[in-house]
Amino acid sequence: MEQTVTYLSQQWRDEAEKRLKGEISPEKMKHLTSSVAYVYVGCPDGRDRYLYFKTTDGRFEQILVGEGDPPQSDFRVTGPYDIFAGLTQGKIKSQRALMSGKLRLKGNMVKALKLASLADRINKVLEKIPARY
Amino acid sequence: MPTKPAKKDPFFIDFPRRVSQVQKEMAKERIDVYLGSRLRTLSWISDAFCPWRSYVVIPPEGMPTVFTFVIDAARIVDESWLDEDHVLGYAPMGGMDQISIIADFITGILKGKKGRIGFETGLSNYLPEGNLTQFEYDRYRQELGGCEFVNAHHIVDRLSLIKDEGTINRFRKASRIVDEGHKAVREALANGGWKGMTETEIAGIAALAMRRAGSVWEWSFTGGNEIASGYRTGMAGCACTPATTRRLKRGEPLMVDIHAMFKLALGDHAHNYFIGGATKRQLWHARNFVDIVSRTLRAYRAGASPLSIAEEMMDFAETRGFAEYMVPGFEHGIGMMGDEWRIGMNDGPFPYWTNPDHAYRENEVLICAMQYACPDEKIGFRYENPILILKDKCEAMSKFGLRVEVIE
Repeated sequence: MEQTVTYLSQQWRDEAEKRLKGEISPEKMKHLTSSVAYVYVGCPDGRDRYLYFKTTDGRFEQILVGEGDPPQSDFRVTGPYDIFAGLTQGKIKSQRALMSGKLRLKGNMVKALKLASLADRINKVLEKIPARY
Repeated sequence: MPTKPAKKDPFFIDFPRRVSQVQKEMAKERIDVYLGSRLRTLSWISDAFCPWRSYVVIPPEGMPTVFTFVIDAARIVDESWLDEDHVLGYAPMGGMDQISIIADFITGILKGKKGRIGFETGLSNYLPEGNLTQFEYDRYRQELGGCEFVNAHHIVDRLSLIKDEGTINRFRKASRIVDEGHKAVREALANGGWKGMTETEIAGIAALAMRRAGSVWEWSFTGGNEIASGYRTGMAGCACTPATTRRLKRGEPLMVDIHAMFKLALGDHAHNYFIGGATKRQLWHARNFVDIVSRTLRAYRAGASPLSIAEEMMDFAETRGFAEYMVPGFEHGIGMMGDEWRIGMNDGPFPYWTNPDHAYRENEVLICAMQYACPDEKIGFRYENPILILKDKCEAMSKFGLRVEVIE
Protein backbone atom coordinates (compact mmCIF):
# COMPACT_ATOMS: atom_id res chain seq x y z
CA MET A 1 0.00 0.00 0.00
CA GLU A 2 1.31 3.44 -0.93
CA GLN A 3 2.26 5.79 1.83
CA THR A 4 0.10 8.87 2.23
CA VAL A 5 2.04 12.12 2.45
CA THR A 6 1.02 15.64 3.43
CA TYR A 7 0.27 17.89 0.47
CA LEU A 8 3.06 20.40 -0.15
CA SER A 9 5.38 18.73 2.37
CA GLN A 10 8.96 17.77 1.45
CA GLN A 11 7.84 14.14 1.16
CA TRP A 12 5.11 15.17 -1.22
CA ARG A 13 7.64 17.21 -3.24
CA ASP A 14 10.02 14.22 -3.45
CA GLU A 15 7.21 11.98 -4.62
CA ALA A 16 6.08 14.61 -7.14
CA GLU A 17 9.59 14.89 -8.55
CA LYS A 18 9.97 11.13 -8.84
CA ARG A 19 6.65 10.73 -10.62
CA LEU A 20 6.98 13.73 -12.91
CA LYS A 21 10.47 12.73 -14.03
CA GLY A 22 9.34 9.13 -14.48
CA GLU A 23 6.07 9.74 -16.24
CA ILE A 24 6.53 12.89 -18.32
CA SER A 25 9.34 12.79 -20.87
CA PRO A 26 10.97 15.92 -22.33
CA GLU A 27 9.08 15.13 -25.54
CA LYS A 28 5.78 15.18 -23.69
CA MET A 29 6.85 18.49 -22.16
CA LYS A 30 7.55 19.76 -25.70
CA HIS A 31 11.14 20.47 -24.65
CA LEU A 32 9.87 23.47 -22.76
CA THR A 33 12.22 25.81 -20.95
CA SER A 34 10.18 27.85 -18.50
CA SER A 35 9.24 28.29 -14.87
CA VAL A 36 6.04 28.70 -12.93
CA ALA A 37 5.29 29.44 -9.29
CA TYR A 38 1.97 28.60 -7.67
CA VAL A 39 1.36 30.76 -4.62
CA TYR A 40 -1.01 29.14 -2.13
CA VAL A 41 -2.69 31.72 0.08
CA GLY A 42 -4.08 30.54 3.41
CA CYS A 43 -2.83 26.98 3.84
CA PRO A 44 -4.52 24.93 6.62
CA ASP A 45 -1.88 26.13 9.12
CA GLY A 46 -2.61 29.75 8.15
CA ARG A 47 0.63 30.24 6.24
CA ASP A 48 1.24 31.00 2.56
CA ARG A 49 3.26 28.52 0.54
CA TYR A 50 4.50 28.07 -2.97
CA LEU A 51 5.05 25.25 -5.40
CA TYR A 52 7.67 26.04 -8.02
CA PHE A 53 8.57 24.18 -11.21
CA LYS A 54 11.45 24.91 -13.52
CA THR A 55 11.96 22.96 -16.71
CA THR A 56 14.88 23.10 -19.11
CA ASP A 57 14.45 21.57 -22.54
CA GLY A 58 11.47 19.65 -21.18
CA ARG A 59 13.33 18.16 -18.19
CA PHE A 60 12.17 18.94 -14.67
CA GLU A 61 15.15 20.79 -13.28
CA GLN A 62 13.71 22.20 -10.06
CA ILE A 63 10.62 21.37 -8.08
CA LEU A 64 10.44 23.37 -4.90
CA VAL A 65 7.94 23.84 -2.10
CA GLY A 66 8.38 26.51 0.52
CA GLU A 67 7.04 29.42 2.48
CA GLY A 68 7.21 33.10 1.65
CA ASP A 69 8.17 34.52 -1.73
CA PRO A 70 8.84 31.95 -4.47
CA PRO A 71 11.84 32.25 -6.81
CA GLN A 72 11.49 34.44 -9.91
CA SER A 73 9.44 32.68 -12.56
CA ASP A 74 8.01 33.24 -16.02
CA PHE A 75 4.51 32.70 -14.68
CA ARG A 76 2.99 33.11 -11.28
CA VAL A 77 -0.44 31.80 -10.33
CA THR A 78 -1.83 33.05 -7.05
CA GLY A 79 -4.94 31.86 -5.25
CA PRO A 80 -6.47 30.24 -2.18
CA TYR A 81 -5.08 26.94 -0.94
CA ASP A 82 -8.48 25.26 -1.32
CA ILE A 83 -8.63 26.03 -5.00
CA PHE A 84 -5.15 24.68 -5.70
CA ALA A 85 -5.85 21.63 -3.59
CA GLY A 86 -9.02 21.08 -5.59
CA LEU A 87 -7.04 21.38 -8.81
CA THR A 88 -4.42 18.87 -7.70
CA GLN A 89 -7.14 16.43 -6.68
CA GLY A 90 -8.86 16.86 -10.02
CA LYS A 91 -11.99 18.28 -8.38
CA ILE A 92 -11.68 21.69 -10.04
CA LYS A 93 -10.63 22.47 -13.61
CA SER A 94 -7.87 25.05 -14.01
CA GLN A 95 -9.77 26.85 -16.74
CA ARG A 96 -12.78 27.41 -14.49
CA ALA A 97 -10.58 28.56 -11.63
CA LEU A 98 -8.87 31.14 -13.86
CA MET A 99 -11.95 32.29 -15.73
CA SER A 100 -13.96 32.75 -12.56
CA GLY A 101 -11.16 34.87 -11.11
CA LYS A 102 -10.43 32.46 -8.27
CA LEU A 103 -6.83 32.24 -9.44
CA ARG A 104 -4.73 35.14 -10.69
CA LEU A 105 -2.15 34.62 -13.39
CA LYS A 106 0.85 36.85 -13.87
CA GLY A 107 2.93 36.46 -17.01
CA ASN A 108 2.56 36.48 -20.75
CA MET A 109 -0.96 35.29 -21.47
CA VAL A 110 -0.17 34.24 -25.02
CA LYS A 111 2.69 32.02 -23.85
CA ALA A 112 0.50 30.74 -21.01
CA LEU A 113 -2.13 29.60 -23.50
CA LYS A 114 0.49 27.48 -25.25
CA LEU A 115 1.42 25.89 -21.93
CA ALA A 116 -2.06 25.21 -20.57
CA SER A 117 -2.11 21.61 -21.80
CA LEU A 118 1.27 20.95 -20.17
CA ALA A 119 -0.01 22.22 -16.83
CA ASP A 120 -2.94 19.83 -17.12
CA ARG A 121 -0.50 17.01 -17.90
CA ILE A 122 1.46 17.79 -14.72
CA ASN A 123 -1.69 17.98 -12.62
CA LYS A 124 -2.81 14.56 -13.84
CA VAL A 125 0.41 13.08 -12.44
CA LEU A 126 0.21 15.00 -9.17
CA GLU A 127 -3.40 14.02 -8.49
CA LYS A 128 -2.33 10.37 -8.24
CA ILE A 129 -0.06 11.03 -5.26
CA PRO A 130 -1.83 9.75 -2.15
CA ALA A 131 -1.94 12.87 -0.02
CA ARG A 132 -3.56 14.45 3.00
CA TYR A 133 -4.95 17.86 2.11
CA MET B 1 5.72 35.91 -41.16
CA PRO B 2 5.79 39.28 -42.95
CA THR B 3 9.23 40.66 -43.64
CA LYS B 4 10.10 43.49 -41.27
CA PRO B 5 11.35 46.45 -43.35
CA ALA B 6 15.05 47.20 -43.29
CA LYS B 7 16.46 50.72 -43.24
CA LYS B 8 16.97 50.77 -47.01
CA ASP B 9 13.32 49.81 -47.53
CA PRO B 10 11.38 52.85 -48.81
CA PHE B 11 8.66 52.06 -46.30
CA PHE B 12 11.00 51.80 -43.33
CA ILE B 13 9.97 53.72 -40.24
CA ASP B 14 12.31 54.05 -37.28
CA PHE B 15 9.88 53.00 -34.56
CA PRO B 16 12.44 52.85 -31.73
CA ARG B 17 13.26 56.48 -32.55
CA ARG B 18 9.57 57.36 -32.34
CA VAL B 19 9.38 55.77 -28.93
CA SER B 20 12.52 57.57 -27.82
CA GLN B 21 10.98 60.89 -28.93
CA VAL B 22 7.88 60.16 -26.87
CA GLN B 23 10.06 59.32 -23.88
CA LYS B 24 11.95 62.61 -24.21
CA GLU B 25 8.64 64.49 -24.18
CA MET B 26 7.47 62.41 -21.23
CA ALA B 27 10.59 63.41 -19.32
CA LYS B 28 10.00 67.10 -20.07
CA GLU B 29 6.51 66.79 -18.63
CA ARG B 30 7.59 64.59 -15.71
CA ILE B 31 5.44 61.72 -16.97
CA ASP B 32 6.60 58.35 -15.68
CA VAL B 33 4.40 56.13 -17.82
CA TYR B 34 2.41 56.84 -20.98
CA LEU B 35 -0.79 54.81 -21.29
CA GLY B 36 -1.94 55.11 -24.89
CA SER B 37 -5.34 53.82 -25.90
CA ARG B 38 -6.19 55.62 -29.12
CA LEU B 39 -6.10 53.66 -32.35
CA ARG B 40 -3.86 56.31 -33.89
CA THR B 41 -1.34 55.94 -31.07
CA LEU B 42 -1.35 52.16 -31.31
CA SER B 43 -0.74 52.25 -35.07
CA TRP B 44 1.92 54.93 -34.79
CA ILE B 45 3.84 53.08 -32.09
CA SER B 46 3.31 49.40 -32.94
CA ASP B 47 3.09 49.43 -36.74
CA ALA B 48 0.24 46.94 -36.49
CA PHE B 49 -3.51 47.22 -36.90
CA CYS B 50 -5.13 46.79 -33.48
CA PRO B 51 -8.86 46.34 -34.06
CA TRP B 52 -9.62 45.08 -30.56
CA ARG B 53 -9.49 47.35 -27.56
CA SER B 54 -5.79 47.78 -27.08
CA TYR B 55 -3.37 49.85 -25.03
CA VAL B 56 0.27 50.70 -25.25
CA VAL B 57 2.34 51.33 -22.16
CA ILE B 58 5.47 53.37 -22.73
CA PRO B 59 7.98 53.34 -19.87
CA PRO B 60 10.46 56.20 -19.27
CA GLU B 61 13.05 54.23 -21.22
CA GLY B 62 13.16 51.02 -23.22
CA MET B 63 10.58 49.22 -25.26
CA PRO B 64 6.86 49.92 -25.22
CA THR B 65 4.42 47.09 -24.53
CA VAL B 66 1.13 46.64 -26.32
CA PHE B 67 -1.77 44.97 -24.55
CA THR B 68 -4.55 43.57 -26.68
CA PHE B 69 -7.28 40.96 -26.56
CA VAL B 70 -5.46 37.65 -26.30
CA ILE B 71 -7.04 36.25 -29.45
CA ASP B 72 -5.17 38.82 -31.52
CA ALA B 73 -1.86 39.15 -29.70
CA ALA B 74 0.05 36.56 -31.73
CA ARG B 75 -0.95 38.23 -35.00
CA ILE B 76 0.16 41.61 -33.74
CA VAL B 77 3.53 40.12 -32.77
CA ASP B 78 3.74 38.74 -36.30
CA GLU B 79 3.02 42.07 -37.96
CA SER B 80 4.62 44.53 -35.54
CA TRP B 81 8.27 45.32 -34.89
CA LEU B 82 7.60 44.37 -31.26
CA ASP B 83 8.47 40.89 -30.00
CA GLU B 84 6.25 38.51 -28.04
CA ASP B 85 7.46 39.88 -24.73
CA HIS B 86 6.17 43.32 -25.72
CA VAL B 87 2.77 42.35 -27.04
CA LEU B 88 0.73 40.86 -24.23
CA GLY B 89 -2.76 39.47 -24.32
CA TYR B 90 -5.53 40.17 -21.87
CA ALA B 91 -8.47 37.89 -21.21
CA PRO B 92 -11.28 37.46 -18.70
CA MET B 93 -9.17 35.43 -16.28
CA GLY B 94 -7.89 36.15 -12.83
CA GLY B 95 -5.13 38.75 -13.09
CA MET B 96 -5.41 38.79 -16.86
CA ASP B 97 -8.23 41.25 -17.46
CA GLN B 98 -7.11 44.44 -19.12
CA ILE B 99 -7.27 46.57 -16.00
CA SER B 100 -5.44 44.14 -13.69
CA ILE B 101 -2.69 43.20 -16.12
CA ILE B 102 -1.93 46.78 -17.15
CA ALA B 103 -2.16 48.23 -13.64
CA ASP B 104 0.15 45.47 -12.46
CA PHE B 105 2.55 46.17 -15.32
CA ILE B 106 2.60 49.89 -14.57
CA THR B 107 3.16 49.18 -10.89
CA GLY B 108 6.22 47.20 -11.95
CA ILE B 109 7.55 50.13 -13.97
CA LEU B 110 6.99 52.53 -11.09
CA LYS B 111 8.73 50.07 -8.72
CA GLY B 112 6.10 50.65 -6.08
CA LYS B 113 6.36 54.44 -6.13
CA LYS B 114 3.47 56.75 -6.93
CA GLY B 115 3.97 58.15 -10.38
CA ARG B 116 2.56 60.49 -12.96
CA ILE B 117 0.68 58.67 -15.69
CA GLY B 118 -0.05 60.22 -19.05
CA PHE B 119 -3.24 58.92 -20.64
CA GLU B 120 -5.43 59.80 -23.59
CA THR B 121 -8.81 61.39 -23.33
CA GLY B 122 -10.80 63.97 -25.23
CA LEU B 123 -13.55 64.27 -27.75
CA SER B 124 -13.88 62.99 -31.27
CA ASN B 125 -16.46 62.84 -34.01
CA TYR B 126 -14.62 59.74 -35.17
CA LEU B 127 -16.11 56.69 -33.46
CA PRO B 128 -13.02 54.45 -33.15
CA GLU B 129 -10.80 57.16 -31.67
CA GLY B 130 -10.15 55.08 -28.56
CA ASN B 131 -9.94 57.62 -25.76
CA LEU B 132 -9.85 56.05 -22.33
CA THR B 133 -13.42 55.50 -21.16
CA GLN B 134 -14.74 56.82 -17.87
CA PHE B 135 -14.95 53.28 -16.54
CA GLU B 136 -11.37 52.48 -17.52
CA TYR B 137 -10.14 55.75 -16.04
CA ASP B 138 -11.91 55.12 -12.74
CA ARG B 139 -10.65 51.56 -12.53
CA TYR B 140 -7.03 52.47 -13.35
CA ARG B 141 -7.14 55.22 -10.73
CA GLN B 142 -8.47 52.72 -8.24
CA GLU B 143 -5.82 50.12 -9.06
CA LEU B 144 -3.00 52.66 -9.21
CA GLY B 145 -4.05 54.56 -6.13
CA GLY B 146 -1.97 57.62 -5.40
CA CYS B 147 -0.75 58.04 -8.98
CA GLU B 148 -1.45 61.30 -10.76
CA PHE B 149 -3.23 61.00 -14.11
CA VAL B 150 -2.70 63.68 -16.76
CA ASN B 151 -4.11 63.91 -20.25
CA ALA B 152 -1.06 63.60 -22.52
CA HIS B 153 -2.28 62.79 -26.03
CA HIS B 154 -0.71 66.01 -27.28
CA ILE B 155 2.69 64.29 -27.10
CA VAL B 156 1.79 61.75 -29.76
CA ASP B 157 -0.27 64.27 -31.72
CA ARG B 158 2.66 66.67 -31.96
CA LEU B 159 5.21 64.01 -32.88
CA SER B 160 2.99 62.36 -35.48
CA LEU B 161 1.99 65.56 -37.24
CA ILE B 162 4.96 65.83 -39.60
CA LYS B 163 5.40 62.65 -41.57
CA ASP B 164 8.73 60.90 -42.04
CA GLU B 165 9.89 59.55 -45.39
CA GLY B 166 8.75 55.98 -44.78
CA THR B 167 5.26 57.12 -43.83
CA ILE B 168 5.03 59.40 -46.87
CA ASN B 169 6.13 56.56 -49.15
CA ARG B 170 3.53 54.29 -47.63
CA PHE B 171 0.87 56.91 -48.38
CA ARG B 172 2.13 57.23 -51.95
CA LYS B 173 1.90 53.46 -52.39
CA ALA B 174 -1.59 53.31 -50.87
CA SER B 175 -2.64 56.04 -53.30
CA ARG B 176 -1.25 54.19 -56.30
CA ILE B 177 -3.22 51.17 -55.16
CA VAL B 178 -6.39 53.26 -55.09
CA ASP B 179 -5.63 54.32 -58.65
CA GLU B 180 -5.72 50.64 -59.61
CA GLY B 181 -9.16 50.38 -58.02
CA HIS B 182 -10.38 53.33 -60.04
CA LYS B 183 -9.02 51.87 -63.26
CA ALA B 184 -10.90 48.64 -62.60
CA VAL B 185 -14.13 50.50 -61.87
CA ARG B 186 -13.83 52.58 -65.01
CA GLU B 187 -13.24 49.48 -67.11
CA ALA B 188 -16.21 47.73 -65.54
CA LEU B 189 -18.51 50.69 -66.14
CA ALA B 190 -17.43 51.37 -69.74
CA ASN B 191 -19.28 50.24 -72.85
CA GLY B 192 -22.55 49.66 -71.08
CA GLY B 193 -20.99 47.58 -68.33
CA TRP B 194 -22.75 49.83 -65.84
CA LYS B 195 -26.18 48.49 -66.87
CA GLY B 196 -27.79 46.65 -63.98
CA MET B 197 -24.81 47.31 -61.73
CA THR B 198 -25.33 48.24 -58.09
CA GLU B 199 -23.29 50.54 -55.87
CA THR B 200 -22.18 47.55 -53.81
CA GLU B 201 -20.88 45.77 -56.90
CA ILE B 202 -18.78 48.79 -57.76
CA ALA B 203 -17.41 48.79 -54.21
CA GLY B 204 -16.48 45.13 -54.64
CA ILE B 205 -14.86 45.61 -58.06
CA ALA B 206 -12.68 48.34 -56.61
CA ALA B 207 -11.88 46.26 -53.54
CA LEU B 208 -10.75 43.27 -55.60
CA ALA B 209 -8.49 45.36 -57.80
CA MET B 210 -6.96 47.16 -54.82
CA ARG B 211 -6.41 43.95 -52.92
CA ARG B 212 -4.70 42.47 -55.96
CA ALA B 213 -2.49 45.54 -55.98
CA GLY B 214 -1.51 45.13 -52.34
CA SER B 215 -4.21 46.73 -50.22
CA VAL B 216 -5.15 44.86 -47.05
CA TRP B 217 -8.37 46.67 -46.24
CA GLU B 218 -10.89 49.19 -47.56
CA TRP B 219 -10.13 50.84 -44.24
CA SER B 220 -12.81 53.48 -43.94
CA PHE B 221 -15.16 53.15 -40.96
CA THR B 222 -17.78 54.82 -43.15
CA GLY B 223 -18.56 51.48 -44.74
CA GLY B 224 -15.42 50.68 -46.71
CA ASN B 225 -15.63 51.90 -50.28
CA GLU B 226 -18.21 54.67 -50.50
CA ILE B 227 -20.29 54.63 -53.64
CA ALA B 228 -23.22 56.95 -54.32
CA SER B 229 -25.43 57.15 -57.38
CA GLY B 230 -28.24 59.46 -58.43
CA TYR B 231 -29.81 61.55 -55.66
CA ARG B 232 -27.40 60.02 -53.14
CA THR B 233 -24.52 61.99 -54.67
CA GLY B 234 -26.29 65.26 -53.90
CA MET B 235 -27.71 64.87 -50.42
CA ALA B 236 -27.29 68.14 -48.56
CA GLY B 237 -23.90 68.44 -46.93
CA CYS B 238 -23.47 64.72 -47.27
CA ALA B 239 -19.97 63.33 -47.32
CA CYS B 240 -20.69 59.85 -46.05
CA THR B 241 -22.10 57.33 -48.48
CA PRO B 242 -21.64 53.66 -47.69
CA ALA B 243 -22.55 51.72 -50.82
CA THR B 244 -26.14 50.49 -51.14
CA THR B 245 -27.82 48.01 -53.46
CA ARG B 246 -29.19 50.87 -55.54
CA ARG B 247 -28.74 50.21 -59.28
CA LEU B 248 -27.11 52.74 -61.60
CA LYS B 249 -29.43 54.62 -63.93
CA ARG B 250 -28.83 56.43 -67.19
CA GLY B 251 -28.43 60.18 -66.83
CA GLU B 252 -27.46 60.05 -63.17
CA PRO B 253 -24.22 61.01 -61.49
CA LEU B 254 -22.05 58.40 -59.84
CA MET B 255 -19.52 59.08 -57.12
CA VAL B 256 -16.79 56.47 -56.44
CA ASP B 257 -14.83 57.10 -53.24
CA ILE B 258 -12.52 54.19 -52.54
CA HIS B 259 -10.04 53.34 -49.82
CA ALA B 260 -6.92 51.19 -49.66
CA MET B 261 -4.59 50.45 -46.78
CA PHE B 262 -0.91 49.71 -47.22
CA LYS B 263 1.24 49.25 -44.12
CA LEU B 264 -1.30 51.29 -42.14
CA ALA B 265 -1.11 54.20 -44.60
CA LEU B 266 -4.43 55.16 -46.07
CA GLY B 267 -5.33 55.68 -49.70
CA ASP B 268 -8.50 57.67 -50.24
CA HIS B 269 -9.53 59.01 -53.61
CA ALA B 270 -12.92 59.89 -55.08
CA HIS B 271 -13.73 60.03 -58.78
CA ASN B 272 -17.00 61.07 -60.39
CA TYR B 273 -18.99 60.02 -63.44
CA PHE B 274 -22.17 60.64 -65.37
CA ILE B 275 -23.81 57.45 -66.46
CA GLY B 276 -24.97 57.17 -70.06
CA GLY B 277 -24.78 60.90 -70.83
CA ALA B 278 -25.16 64.28 -69.14
CA THR B 279 -27.25 67.40 -69.63
CA LYS B 280 -25.76 70.85 -70.13
CA ARG B 281 -26.82 71.76 -66.62
CA GLN B 282 -25.13 68.68 -65.20
CA LEU B 283 -21.96 69.51 -67.09
CA TRP B 284 -22.09 73.06 -65.68
CA HIS B 285 -22.09 71.61 -62.19
CA ALA B 286 -19.22 69.31 -63.15
CA ARG B 287 -17.13 72.21 -64.48
CA ASN B 288 -17.69 74.13 -61.27
CA PHE B 289 -16.56 71.17 -59.27
CA VAL B 290 -13.43 70.41 -61.31
CA ASP B 291 -12.43 74.08 -61.35
CA ILE B 292 -12.73 74.56 -57.63
CA VAL B 293 -10.84 71.35 -56.88
CA SER B 294 -8.05 72.39 -59.24
CA ARG B 295 -7.80 75.80 -57.59
CA THR B 296 -7.84 74.27 -54.15
CA LEU B 297 -5.01 71.88 -54.98
CA ARG B 298 -2.97 74.82 -56.24
CA ALA B 299 -3.60 76.70 -53.00
CA TYR B 300 -2.13 74.15 -50.60
CA ARG B 301 1.37 74.97 -49.43
CA ALA B 302 3.26 75.44 -46.21
CA GLY B 303 1.89 78.47 -44.39
CA ALA B 304 -1.65 78.22 -45.79
CA SER B 305 -4.43 77.37 -43.35
CA PRO B 306 -7.78 75.60 -43.63
CA LEU B 307 -9.55 78.93 -43.20
CA SER B 308 -7.43 80.86 -45.71
CA ILE B 309 -8.10 78.19 -48.32
CA ALA B 310 -11.81 77.95 -47.50
CA GLU B 311 -12.24 81.72 -47.76
CA GLU B 312 -10.43 81.90 -51.07
CA MET B 313 -12.38 79.01 -52.53
CA MET B 314 -15.77 80.10 -51.28
CA ASP B 315 -15.11 83.54 -52.83
CA PHE B 316 -14.40 81.78 -56.11
CA ALA B 317 -17.54 79.67 -55.79
CA GLU B 318 -19.57 82.78 -55.05
CA THR B 319 -18.34 84.58 -58.16
CA ARG B 320 -19.22 81.54 -60.25
CA GLY B 321 -22.62 81.18 -58.62
CA PHE B 322 -22.26 77.80 -56.94
CA ALA B 323 -21.26 78.66 -53.37
CA GLU B 324 -24.53 77.25 -52.05
CA TYR B 325 -23.53 73.81 -53.31
CA MET B 326 -20.18 73.67 -51.55
CA VAL B 327 -19.59 72.20 -48.13
CA PRO B 328 -17.27 74.92 -46.76
CA GLY B 329 -14.59 72.56 -45.45
CA PHE B 330 -11.91 71.36 -47.79
CA GLU B 331 -9.85 68.80 -45.96
CA HIS B 332 -9.54 66.39 -43.09
CA GLY B 333 -6.58 65.05 -41.24
CA ILE B 334 -4.91 61.74 -41.95
CA GLY B 335 -2.17 59.62 -40.52
CA MET B 336 -1.55 55.97 -39.88
CA MET B 337 -4.72 53.91 -39.32
CA GLY B 338 -6.93 55.53 -36.72
CA ASP B 339 -5.70 59.06 -37.35
CA GLU B 340 -8.41 60.21 -39.66
CA TRP B 341 -10.04 63.37 -38.63
CA ARG B 342 -8.67 66.45 -36.92
CA ILE B 343 -5.88 68.37 -38.59
CA GLY B 344 -2.99 69.56 -36.45
CA MET B 345 -3.12 70.00 -32.71
CA ASN B 346 -6.06 70.47 -30.40
CA ASP B 347 -5.62 74.24 -30.33
CA GLY B 348 -8.64 75.63 -32.15
CA PRO B 349 -11.69 77.50 -30.88
CA PHE B 350 -13.71 74.28 -30.64
CA PRO B 351 -12.02 71.56 -28.59
CA TYR B 352 -10.87 68.58 -30.62
CA TRP B 353 -11.87 70.08 -33.95
CA THR B 354 -9.44 71.38 -36.55
CA ASN B 355 -8.05 74.80 -35.75
CA PRO B 356 -9.12 76.81 -38.83
CA ASP B 357 -5.98 78.92 -38.47
CA HIS B 358 -3.64 75.95 -38.31
CA ALA B 359 -0.65 76.86 -40.50
CA TYR B 360 0.32 73.92 -42.65
CA ARG B 361 3.91 72.79 -42.43
CA GLU B 362 6.09 70.94 -44.88
CA ASN B 363 5.58 67.16 -44.82
CA GLU B 364 2.16 67.25 -43.25
CA VAL B 365 -0.21 64.86 -45.01
CA LEU B 366 -3.92 65.55 -45.14
CA ILE B 367 -6.87 64.58 -47.25
CA CYS B 368 -8.09 67.29 -49.58
CA ALA B 369 -11.79 66.52 -49.20
CA MET B 370 -14.41 68.50 -51.09
CA GLN B 371 -18.10 67.91 -51.39
CA TYR B 372 -20.33 69.58 -53.97
CA ALA B 373 -24.01 68.85 -53.47
CA CYS B 374 -27.16 70.16 -55.12
CA PRO B 375 -30.06 68.22 -53.58
CA ASP B 376 -32.70 69.95 -55.67
CA GLU B 377 -31.13 68.64 -58.84
CA LYS B 378 -30.11 65.32 -57.32
CA ILE B 379 -26.51 65.87 -58.28
CA GLY B 380 -23.26 65.99 -56.38
CA PHE B 381 -19.57 65.20 -56.57
CA ARG B 382 -16.80 64.41 -54.13
CA TYR B 383 -13.08 64.85 -54.29
CA GLU B 384 -10.72 63.19 -51.86
CA ASN B 385 -7.01 62.70 -52.22
CA PRO B 386 -4.14 62.49 -49.75
CA ILE B 387 -1.87 65.47 -50.29
CA LEU B 388 1.63 66.13 -49.05
CA ILE B 389 2.26 69.71 -48.05
CA LEU B 390 5.44 71.09 -49.59
CA LYS B 391 7.15 74.47 -49.29
CA ASP B 392 5.26 76.19 -52.09
CA LYS B 393 2.83 73.56 -53.39
CA CYS B 394 1.31 70.23 -52.56
CA GLU B 395 1.75 66.75 -53.98
CA ALA B 396 -1.55 65.06 -54.78
CA MET B 397 -0.74 61.42 -54.14
CA SER B 398 -3.45 59.68 -56.13
CA LYS B 399 -2.80 60.31 -59.82
CA PHE B 400 -6.14 59.25 -61.29
CA GLY B 401 -7.07 62.20 -63.47
CA LEU B 402 -9.31 64.92 -62.10
CA ARG B 403 -12.44 65.16 -64.24
CA VAL B 404 -16.07 64.14 -64.24
CA GLU B 405 -16.31 61.45 -66.88
CA VAL B 406 -19.31 60.66 -69.02
CA ILE B 407 -19.55 56.88 -69.31
CA GLU B 408 -21.53 55.48 -72.22
